[in-house]
Amino acid sequence: MADFHKADIEKLIDGVLPWPATQDMLKSPKDTNRFDKYVEIMQDRVDFDDPILLPLTPHLFIVASKKEGRIVKCKCGHSFGDYRINWKLSALINVRDDEKSMSEIYRGREMPDPAWIQLREYICGGCGAQLEVEAVPRGCPPDFDFLPDLDTFYGQWLGRPLPDKVAFEDKTLEHVKEWSE
Amino acid sequence: MAALSLKERLAANDEAFKKTGHLFGLERLALKESNPGDYEAVWHILSNLCNAAWATGCKVSSSPIAAEGGDALWGLHTPTGEAICISRGISAHAGLLSDMVKNFISIGYEEYPGFKPGDIFENNDPHYGGIHSPDFDMCMPLFYDGKLIAWATCVSHVADAGSVTPGSIGFLNPDCYSDGIAISMERVGENDRFYPWYELRIRSRSRTPDFVMGDARGRLAGCITLRERLEAMIEKYGLDFFEQAGHEYVEDSRRYAVGRVKTQTVPGRIRKSQFKDLAMKGKRVLMAKQDIDCAFNLPMELTVNADASVSLSLQGASGTVPFGENISPTALKSGLMMGYSHIVGFDMFNSGPISAWDIEMPPDGSWANPYPLDYQAASGVAWAPAVTWVSSLYEVFGRLFQMRGFVEEMAAGSATIMTAEFSGINQTGMYLTGLTLEQASNGSPAKGYSDGENSAWCIYTPEADFGNAEITELYYPILFLGRNIEPNSGGYGQFRGGLGHTAVWMVYNTPGLEYQCGDAGMRSKIVGNHGMYGAYPVVPDRPAYAHDTNVKELIDAQKPLVHGRGDPESPEVATIIKAKDLQTDAVAPFVTPQPLTDYDIIVHPIGGAQAMGDPINRDPKSVASDLDEGWTTERVAADIHGVVTKKPNRHYEIDEAATEKKRKKIRDQRKKRALPFKEWWTAERKRILAQENMDESVRRMWISSMELSPKYAEELRAFWKLPEDFVFSL
Repeated sequence: MADFHKADIEKLIDGVLPWPATQDMLKSPKDTNRFDKYVEIMQDRVDFDDPILLPLTPHLFIVASKKEGRIVKCKCGHSFGDYRINWKLSALINVRDDEKSMSEIYRGREMPDPAWIQLREYICGGCGAQLEVEAVPRGCPPDFDFLPDLDTFYGQWLGRPLPDKVAFEDKTLEHVKEWSE
Repeated sequence: MAALSLKERLAANDEAFKKTGHLFGLERLALKESNPGDYEAVWHILSNLCNAAWATGCKVSSSPIAAEGGDALWGLHTPTGEAICISRGISAHAGLLSDMVKNFISIGYEEYPGFKPGDIFENNDPHYGGIHSPDFDMCMPLFYDGKLIAWATCVSHVADAGSVTPGSIGFLNPDCYSDGIAISMERVGENDRFYPWYELRIRSRSRTPDFVMGDARGRLAGCITLRERLEAMIEKYGLDFFEQAGHEYVEDSRRYAVGRVKTQTVPGRIRKSQFKDLAMKGKRVLMAKQDIDCAFNLPMELTVNADASVSLSLQGASGTVPFGENISPTALKSGLMMGYSHIVGFDMFNSGPISAWDIEMPPDGSWANPYPLDYQAASGVAWAPAVTWVSSLYEVFGRLFQMRGFVEEMAAGSATIMTAEFSGINQTGMYLTGLTLEQASNGSPAKGYSDGENSAWCIYTPEADFGNAEITELYYPILFLGRNIEPNSGGYGQFRGGLGHTAVWMVYNTPGLEYQCGDAGMRSKIVGNHGMYGAYPVVPDRPAYAHDTNVKELIDAQKPLVHGRGDPESPEVATIIKAKDLQTDAVAPFVTPQPLTDYDIIVHPIGGAQAMGDPINRDPKSVASDLDEGWTTERVAADIHGVVTKKPNRHYEIDEAATEKKRKKIRDQRKKRALPFKEWWTAERKRILAQENMDESVRRMWISSMELSPKYAEELRAFWKLPEDFVFSL
């Protein structure tokens, strides 16, 4: 079983691992402790101390916060709240739904039709990172990209249950219910 | 005890799987454990014999699609239909071929007319599991010492299956009766020969009968090659070994896929929306009902379960369309099996991985399950919405692999697919119609560690090959003026998708040629995919053409010609050429309103793939390198990637300090410009209730999605806090 060095995985993440070494990683049997190595690498790269439970995207992490429990945090430390509520609801959003705003990205024949599609840019309120871009017609709820079953993952798949247990449920609609129209 | 019939064996297999969780009840891979050397060797022999069938079959075939592009597939199956091993080629069909064999068994063909050596069976009818009429699916039962021991199967994509419009991408077909020749689960030959009626039918029902019959002989030649080599293999290793190994390879592959899911992903629920356009209003169509713009809702919900099985749902899929873009659930499943085999279960490509899925039947009457409500739905190019939907599978698994740290396995979504088909008299005076293979060479998806490759990938086949320009010119009365990598065609992100290319053709040596810019998964009104991890999506497909041009005068005067798309705001075709009919920004798909004639020009774009990551995180050196190559532009470098450059000589140089400053400014501007989500939600909710700036096609799409999937509708209403009885209106 392969056991790739952390330094090489870092280079891979940064897109600077030479191609032969990348091929080796692609072809070899996977290292069984990759998740732990990856989390260690990312933990060193983030601006917060809460332990990472799951890297949700290269920029967002589900962390175990002493105060708030399992929440989503950006690399910069900005919090997006309970991981079972779609984090996009706690982000800043910039929507391009007319030709003027779309033309900053797409020009001439590259321009999509804003009556068919809008571009939703989800921005971190802390560092200004562009976290996701959705291209959807008006009316589409934001994609809840991933709701992990964290307790199954840690308890059954990794064999080291988390100290607390949280129900595997989508709480997004419950959250929206509280909003006034 | 009498031997079980194949139908009984099918039922017994299902029962054994249910009871043990292992295919064929194989709780142990006994042969693999006891004789791993031969187990491995025979796998490679089987793989080679499938590839030998592919090589022979493609050589015997006549159409450029199979002979030049290799757009065909051969497979070896168990007696009950599970694919054991398949050839190289158009792998999207492996599942479909497997289901076809099972279908022949389930319908009762074993009893009547029976299966015997040398029988040839075919199907291309979507109502019985085919994908679309040009894809002819064949199977032959293989016998050894009088016992049915396997099936050889094949699919090849013929140039013209006699649908209402010429060619093989029947996006304009208004109903299934216009889809062309139907071979509906038929025995088409015996003793390794086609029946005489088969050729008669092809001759009267296809516009290119010589090509279609040539391709049929190619399929047959490949199946016979496979049979002969299999017999030789069995002579050496024995029938018992083959029968046991055949089952073990399938179960082994299932275990591999499940193992990968468990060790390389995370359990939970992923949702990925996906949309597609088909704008036909005001264009040349066949029936009044087709004067309409359509939007497709192609949602994917994938759940990785605790036991590492995978559940998939298409709740919310929109309704059928009065065009050829509807697909049977069997064919959709086959496309999905291909995607899954590329991403997850690629050690031994066979039916194994698919058995670990639980696929919810798509909503009745949706594009993905048309017949319960719309039995007449056309499927001329059924894969158009299907490949668009399967694109999400790449992104979904890319995300799952990232979470577990397997960055080297990550991929973004696929490119769009827009086809070019010609029909007319070519330079030899011969009538020809068929597909070019330009679209079989998109840019590949961005990876977790690098850009995708340019013009080197195709979602529906690992055989990404657009063929030689010179061969295409032999068949069709066209000359290539350009086949160039297209800048900015792979989205904008930290890692961009591989770039697409642009083919520029000049029509030459024909009294008239029809250009069909077809939909096989293109997007023209909207962008391709979302932007993964903050990237910007891929630009829409917008072809151009010029009819009745001054190109001959330009050639005579040795003046510059068109070689690419040019600047998006000032296309080459508009700046260089004068023409009576000049379409510089045509919305695909379409058929030219009149036949094109000598010196007419076609600018046909082929898409790049999805990017990933915030564009201002792109390494400035990569931006400068793209500028040097002509793969991006100064505007995109500065405004979207925030990279400040100068060009003191032939190469671009980065101003690092200015770049850092500019990127900080972009971040600050984003925060200043964006709204808190809730604030936007409040205003957007009102715009939704007012149906503000929502194209009729979009509203029609939502109406059908909500009607066909009440649970999906309930959630959509709940998210926007819309009244319980809210429906969109036209």
